[in-house]
Amino acid sequence: MDHMKRRDFMRGAAVGTFAFTVGGAQSLMTPREARAQGVPFRLLKASEAEALEALGETLVPGARAAGIAHFIDQQVSVAPEEALLEARILNVKPPYVNFYRAAIGAIDKVSQARAGRRFAELTAPQQRELVDLMRQNKLDGWQGPPGPFVYLVTRSDAVDVVYGTMEGYEALGIPYMPHIAPEKRW
Amino acid sequence: MAKLDKVDVVIVGAGASGSVYAAVLAKAGKKVVVLDQGPDWKTTDLISSDFWGRRIKTAGAPFVLEGKNPVSYAYQSGWGVGGAALHYFANLPRLLPNDFKIKSEHNRALDWPISYQDVAPYYDKVARDIGVSGDAKAEEIWRQPGLPYPMPPMKTFRHGDVWLKGFEAVGIRMVPAAVGMNSTEYRGRPPCIYDGWCHVGCPTGALSNPLVTYLADARKAGAEVRPWSTVTRVLTNGKGNRVSGVEYYDQRGEKQFQPGAVVVLAAWAAQNPRIMLNSASDKHPKGLANSSGLVGRYMMTHYASGTWAIFDENVANHMGTTGSQYMSYDRYGKTSHKGAFGSTFIVVGSALKTSGLGGFANARLDLFGPDLHAFMKRAARGLSRITAFGEELPHIENRVELASDKDELGMPLAKIIHSYDEDVAAVWNANFEEGLRIAKAAGAQEFWSARGNIPTIHLMGGTIMGTGAGNSVVNSYGQTHEIPNLYVAGPGIFPTGGASNPTNTIFALSLRGAEQLAARWKTIAV
Repeated sequence: MDHMKRRDFMRGAAVGTFAFTVGGAQSLMTPREARAQGVPFRLLKASEAEALEALGETLVPGARAAGIAHFIDQQVSVAPEEALLEARILNVKPPYVNFYRAAIGAIDKVSQARAGRRFAELTAPQQRELVDLMRQNKLDGWQGPPGPFVYLVTRSDAVDVVYGTMEGYEALGIPYMPHIAPEKRW
Repeated sequence: MAKLDKVDVVIVGAGASGSVYAAVLAKAGKKVVVLDQGPDWKTTDLISSDFWGRRIKTAGAPFVLEGKNPVSYAYQSGWGVGGAALHYFANLPRLLPNDFKIKSEHNRALDWPISYQDVAPYYDKVARDIGVSGDAKAEEIWRQPGLPYPMPPMKTFRHGDVWLKGFEAVGIRMVPAAVGMNSTEYRGRPPCIYDGWCHVGCPTGALSNPLVTYLADARKAGAEVRPWSTVTRVLTNGKGNRVSGVEYYDQRGEKQFQPGAVVVLAAWAAQNPRIMLNSASDKHPKGLANSSGLVGRYMMTHYASGTWAIFDENVANHMGTTGSQYMSYDRYGKTSHKGAFGSTFIVVGSALKTSGLGGFANARLDLFGPDLHAFMKRAARGLSRITAFGEELPHIENRVELASDKDELGMPLAKIIHSYDEDVAAVWNANFEEGLRIAKAAGAQEFWSARGNIPTIHLMGGTIMGTGAGNSVVNSYGQTHEIPNLYVAGPGIFPTGGASNPTNTIFALSLRGAEQLAARWKTIAV
């Protein structure tokens, strides 16, 4: 990691935001803000981001608006040692974008086989059914990282952006009580 | 390769064990350099957030995980100065006398070359050095008397107290947990404010992480801590009978040689063997201190049987510490559970947060969508957990070995190959069954076992201690049998792991080894 990148990372970490690229310049904001402002994705294709938003929303209501796709996109675009996805703790082999692409590919493939449409295009009940089968490793023709593991990793991401923030604690009625608070309520 | 000025002691790793060696030896007047591969964290970096807390967990070269029960090490690993102890839960139970002589008493596993009585004075010293809260007198139902803890027990909260009648009903005695946290001000460090963020690093100084204890002492005594320094090999003299220093890569990726009269490997149970095996030379073709072939062998972990329960009251589970409120050794006998072999150590009363691997969103991994949200709201009010840790016996097949792939520095990656035996499954299951009985007797509204794959917690072994080079890598002080000025520190030197959290024993054995090294300096560092 070069020194400039590390300083940016450490600065972002100190204030609890991420560095997103807007108009060629880096800007620190939360994933929710990045989504609301339509920040372009760094690595994810539009269809991949759409799939992650649909999957995230199925796993944890509110994950789409909380910016799950921007969150993952930003995290897979930095050096692996800077990424703070649960994937790091779950021993996913970097680069992490490969895992997400393989997961999305597997989900869309079984979705096409089952319903003739991509996962993001399914109805909400269909999405729930597919995720439930993925969770139990019961999807015929699945080709990718093990379904239960995809469920665990992406569910953790959705939990991070919805329940792991100061806003998320507040919504559940739990006092956050930080020693050192992340700013911007992340 | 640049060669730096020679120092007395080169310590590899600035975590729990390395910081103890650094403090003792720097205070003894030795010139000490501590090399750590990660950042130089300050307490002000320890943000209260499960997400940001991942910054202080592993980010180095990955280990290749194999075997029937791959070691999921990352959650408990460290990254940077402070090591894993920067985010440890500060549960500081001891091993018990029966851990040191399993072979003699049961003809299973291995004996330690020392007894509980050899380590006990160091447990007492550690308690005073770093500050432990608890009730040592209450623990005497399971162990010999020692010194009282310097602070009274921590406050308790309803999510711990609510279980007590359940434990009583099944005949398990609970006592205040021994924790490395301040129930009162201690040595200028403030008392705990019970906000439950210990697991992502305590910035207040109330929790005894190395930055505010041994490492602070070491720095004050003149030790140099050099972050972003990744050690790849330990080098020897021409005869191969003494180490001469370590090779490492600095933050700019430049190779350096740090000469030292003594080298202490305190990098982690899996990383120490990796470095020793990668230090093979014509004098040590199998790796340093490895004529026995035992470097990397006898890797062990703990496993947990968690029982979750929701109570029909507000148990304030966000309050307290990530450590425990109460603990028990009442199932610590090696044959406590019929048909199973191995100790069990029980804790209760860990504060809960929403996210992260230990967060309560994972208490019901089967739930998602609106069902998960409904659970989160109920759990926020009434959820609590008890945890029974189990013992895995050492098996020579569970090992660390070098892999063919290399990291970005050209150092071979290492594999951790690990499988549990039938005793582990039996103890694990027995503890789940007992956990459900406890929850029912405690009057929980709903309760369930946290089943899934058998977890792997607290990596130990790999450079075990013993009576000689034929059966072990180091002696009871951590000094390698074959190279007198090469030491190994940390849980890697445990020949068996018991079932209680290992860090107190890591501190105690490191203190014992460092004091021996300082006392015998002239014969060891010649």
